[in-house]
Amino acid sequence: MNRTIVIGGGSDALVAAQLLARAGREVMVIDSRGASPDEGWVPPNVLRELKIQGLELEWPDPWLVVPLAGGGRLELWRDMARSVDAIRRVSARDAGRWPQFCERMARLARFLEGVYAAPPPDPLSPGFALRARRLGKRALADLLRLLPMPVAELLDDWFESDALKGALAGAGVLHLLQGPRSGGTAFRFLHHHVGCPPGVFRPPRSNILELLRKLPRLELQQTEVLRIAVRGGAVAGVALKDGRRLEASLVVSSADPRRSLLELVEPGWLDPELARALRHVRRRGVAARLRLQLDRPPGFPALALAPSLDYLERAYDDAKHGRVSRHPYVEARCDARHRMEALVQYAPYGVDCTNLNDSVTALLSEHWGDAQPEHVELLAPRELEELEGWPEGQPHHAELSLDQALWMRPLPELARYRTPIQGLWLCGPAMHPGAGVAGAAGLHCAHAILDR
Amino acid sequence: MNLALGELPDFTCRPGRGPHLRGAISISPSVAYLERAYDEAKYGEVSRRPYMDIVIPSMLDPAMAPPGRHVMSIFVQYAPYHVRGGWTDARREALGDAVVDTLAEYAPNIRSAILHRQVVTPADIERIVGLSEGNIFQGELTLQQMFFLRPVPAWAKYRTPLPGLYQCGAGTHPGGGVMGASGRNAALQILGAA
Repeated sequence: MNRTIVIGGGSDALVAAQLLARAGREVMVIDSRGASPDEGWVPPNVLRELKIQGLELEWPDPWLVVPLAGGGRLELWRDMARSVDAIRRVSARDAGRWPQFCERMARLARFLEGVYAAPPPDPLSPGFALRARRLGKRALADLLRLLPMPVAELLDDWFESDALKGALAGAGVLHLLQGPRSGGTAFRFLHHHVGCPPGVFRPPRSNILELLRKLPRLELQQTEVLRIAVRGGAVAGVALKDGRRLEASLVVSSADPRRSLLELVEPGWLDPELARALRHVRRRGVAARLRLQLDRPPGFPALALAPSLDYLERAYDDAKHGRVSRHPYVEARCDARHRMEALVQYAPYGVDCTNLNDSVTALLSEHWGDAQPEHVELLAPRELEELEGWPEGQPHHAELSLDQALWMRPLPELARYRTPIQGLWLCGPAMHPGAGVAGAAGLHCAHAILDR
Repeated sequence: MNLALGELPDFTCRPGRGPHLRGAISISPSVAYLERAYDEAKYGEVSRRPYMDIVIPSMLDPAMAPPGRHVMSIFVQYAPYHVRGGWTDARREALGDAVVDTLAEYAPNIRSAILHRQVVTPADIERIVGLSEGNIFQGELTLQQMFFLRPVPAWAKYRTPLPGLYQCGAGTHPGGGVMGASGRNAALQILGAA
């Protein structure tokens, strides 16, 4: 029996499925919900290998609007000169430093781009050391200094404007139960810069999922995998929610690793030490989502409410002690049909979010002029878990912090997409590079399976 | 903070005298407690319930206090150098009160045992000892300020932009807590042997 089962319908799962099908395997994709397109940058080699054309990466322009404490707003544009002009109105000093900051960050992001386009680097390999050395002395020192840093320290190094620093720092803590003063958040800031034009510090939206779904050759089944059957340490097949049992010699799961290995697989096949380590992979959901429809344009394509580093840090303090932020960090995007989606952080998993809907709508309404909202809906992490299948409401499946990144994502023992169960492989946002880099983990996983 | 005591502290969790008074005593009951102590420092306040490491040197060397009396030395965190509004006499005393209040929760007799107290803030340490910002490591020991980044990138090799001026000490690699190493490294660098 040579069937391959791919669990999940996100970009990683579809990329892996396509590559395996093209290598001559009989592939069936099993997806219970149809992944939501919360996708970011797509490495060029994913497109090249699948011969996909027509990818559109979309950033709003201005990519961020930041309301200022004394009235008015700071607008950050894709056009560097325009951003400099806008920043000059809050701080001439910061405006002067903006181009150099963008150039330094872009250089480091380009290095990560290369790291993300490949399987996790082996820190001991001479190849990795060589690539790092090619960065040059200053950039390498920059990178090694920046990775463990709190994003607040990085921004304090460069800028003085609270509004600018607060808005930029948001990218350092997205979907993370950490504040801007936590170590490693500068790495997260850089992570979301990968694939962006210089001077843009928010991940793009892309149509990658749509393009992947249009590709032929895949058999899609809309149901759920309840169990992965294992016989003699090797994958034997899957049991589906609709009652069917399918034989398979290869299963590629894009579900979160804890679910794949501790819930879908019969207990007992895993080394207890590995099982314990898996249970300690952090995957705490921290963001709620507000969705609403406006009757007219709100006057901004993207808005961030994070007026200072201290504001963000205080929002985190609440979450750290198990509460919803009294003054949350809110980031909203609005499309051409005035549909708005806002990220509301911090709203820890399992905490009551009853009043958040009204308070965040009121907060946003101060900035959208005369527009009237309809169909306001707030999804707390628990609802996102149910609706989207994100464990604990965490879209990255495993929090992307420095200790759960690169060759340690999600654990050093699992970082190579292979599991101790023969024929069971992992891809998805919890695998390198994951977390907002679309398709790459699927590509690397398929390559590992095909031994390319 | 240093205390002169008329009698030994009597800890509720372990009443009376005992070997525990000869070692280090830590007031750090949980990770959440430490986080809360830190929360206040982030915004320039002194911890209301600080983390404390305590020793009673007169338990080991009775000559440090008159017979029957003791001295207690308390390391208190967090008391940030950049406290909101700056360090004043009133703030210094408020810090002392917070320490005594906290300690009294664990050793209720401490209040009546105190004969004299001395509160030394980071600003005092800077003034008295000459350590900038009262930081005993001359630069925080965080990963982004270690190794070839200590004290700053490109100047980690004990040299400075001024020919003939070299640096050693806790502010340079390997940093505070490793005794003598940076002095040796700097000397070797100067002698051209490194």
